[in-house]
Amino acid sequence: MNTTLVKAISASPAPGPPFGPGAAKQTHTVAKLIDTTTCIGCKACEVACQEWNDQPFLIGAFEGTYQTLTDLTPSFWNLIKFNEAEQEGHLLWLMAKYQCMHCVDPGCLKACPAPGAIVQYTNGIVDFNAENCIGCGYCMTGCPFDVPKLHPRTKKVQKCTLCSDRVSVGLEPACIKACPTNCLSFGTREDLLAKAEARVEALKDEGRSESGIYNPPGVGGTHVVYVLAHADHPENYGLPRDPAIPWTVALWKGPLKWLGNLVLLGGILGTFFHYVRYGPRRYKDETG
Amino acid sequence: MRLDEPKVDRFNVVERVTHWLVALSFLYTTLTGLALWSPRLYWLAAVFGGGPTVRGWHPWGGVAFAAFFAFMFRAWNRQMRLEQDDRRWLRLAHRYAVHNEEGLPEAGRFNAGQKSLFWIQAAGAVVLISTGVVLWWPETMPRALRLTAILLHPVAAVVAIGGLIVHIYMGTAAVPEAFRGMIQGWVRPGWAASHHPKWYREVTRR
Repeated sequence: MNTTLVKAISASPAPGPPFGPGAAKQTHTVAKLIDTTTCIGCKACEVACQEWNDQPFLIGAFEGTYQTLTDLTPSFWNLIKFNEAEQEGHLLWLMAKYQCMHCVDPGCLKACPAPGAIVQYTNGIVDFNAENCIGCGYCMTGCPFDVPKLHPRTKKVQKCTLCSDRVSVGLEPACIKACPTNCLSFGTREDLLAKAEARVEALKDEGRSESGIYNPPGVGGTHVVYVLAHADHPENYGLPRDPAIPWTVALWKGPLKWLGNLVLLGGILGTFFHYVRYGPRRYKDETG
Repeated sequence: MRLDEPKVDRFNVVERVTHWLVALSFLYTTLTGLALWSPRLYWLAAVFGGGPTVRGWHPWGGVAFAAFFAFMFRAWNRQMRLEQDDRRWLRLAHRYAVHNEEGLPEAGRFNAGQKSLFWIQAAGAVVLISTGVVLWWPETMPRALRLTAILLHPVAAVVAIGGLIVHIYMGTAAVPEAFRGMIQGWVRPGWAASHHPKWYREVTRR
């Protein structure tokens, strides 16, 4: 059983901070660091993910790249994207692991109408609960990274869990365990951000001045953080440039909800009190 | 009720059946839709068979509504055209609301308020159905379409439900006897002459 503390639940009031003795204890949030500069595209993380989560190996069509599939699928949550880009006359062959980013401010959770279908734990992991998922797919629209995928048969949305089952018992995610170059690491978010900064410094010392951290502020930061050698062009890695919760989703779940409730309640109360004040329309029968 | 009570036929049986099919399908999609509109109304999902069932059947409720509404639209849209008098009526609608009908043009078979509701619901239906199709199969729809639909669907729903609340009030408590017109299909001559004088004269002339 997953005993991790909960920070936010979809379509439900926030559980609030823990109280009682020991409540002041600082809980650490976790993160995954992906150093794309040392990724060799071996896809061991893809295999480990499929193995640990008991998912089938899928056969895709050959698209002229080394990429396993063109996109994530409901049963394939971890994809190395192989991208080619040209920069100042040089060809760049960029590899970047792609999966759920575990946003600090998750758009999926904001968009979800089913109580308990999406849960954000205090350690930062954003998890989907299939038993509460109704398969509406709103999370797919709320997610600025286009990560959640609807399973056509079970009608449940699936994505990377950051191995919440492993993390809750003190293990690191399966992908981390499989990485042969240590380009993937797992730990507290604080530690890994420091590690990422140190790595960026080192890269800059080597003359790779465009290096940087991908930890997009538009979603409050993420619990999956990248070191990119070309951080000025994250889109070359297949990462959105300025991801944020879409404004239509924010408007719909924010002001529109209040306005809508006001209209509906106002309609009911308004008609009721109209009756109380003016009563029904009466008529005099003038037809004889 | 007296057998020989004087009656004026208000809505024929095809109109009544169509209206109530529209009403029932709209009510079902409204209640299942409200379950997904607010977590505070999610209990409605339990009433209609649980979250996944609601998600599965709500679009089909919409399909039924679309079909019935299209039929009703074809039958009524010509009678619902807003004319010169109707525009004047709408400008004085506040007087109608407080039962002071001085200067209010006489209504035909449908008054300008009813006609307006018809067009508002027609526009709402078009938006709800087109955005509903997008939301039905999110996995096959382009992102920009989904982002638009996710906003416009509830906006149109709020407008349509707002219209429905007023419509139900007008058709029951606010205008006694109107309900019988839509259920049994007839009204008293005095009612017709008072509420829809132009229409009453047409009917009695024949």
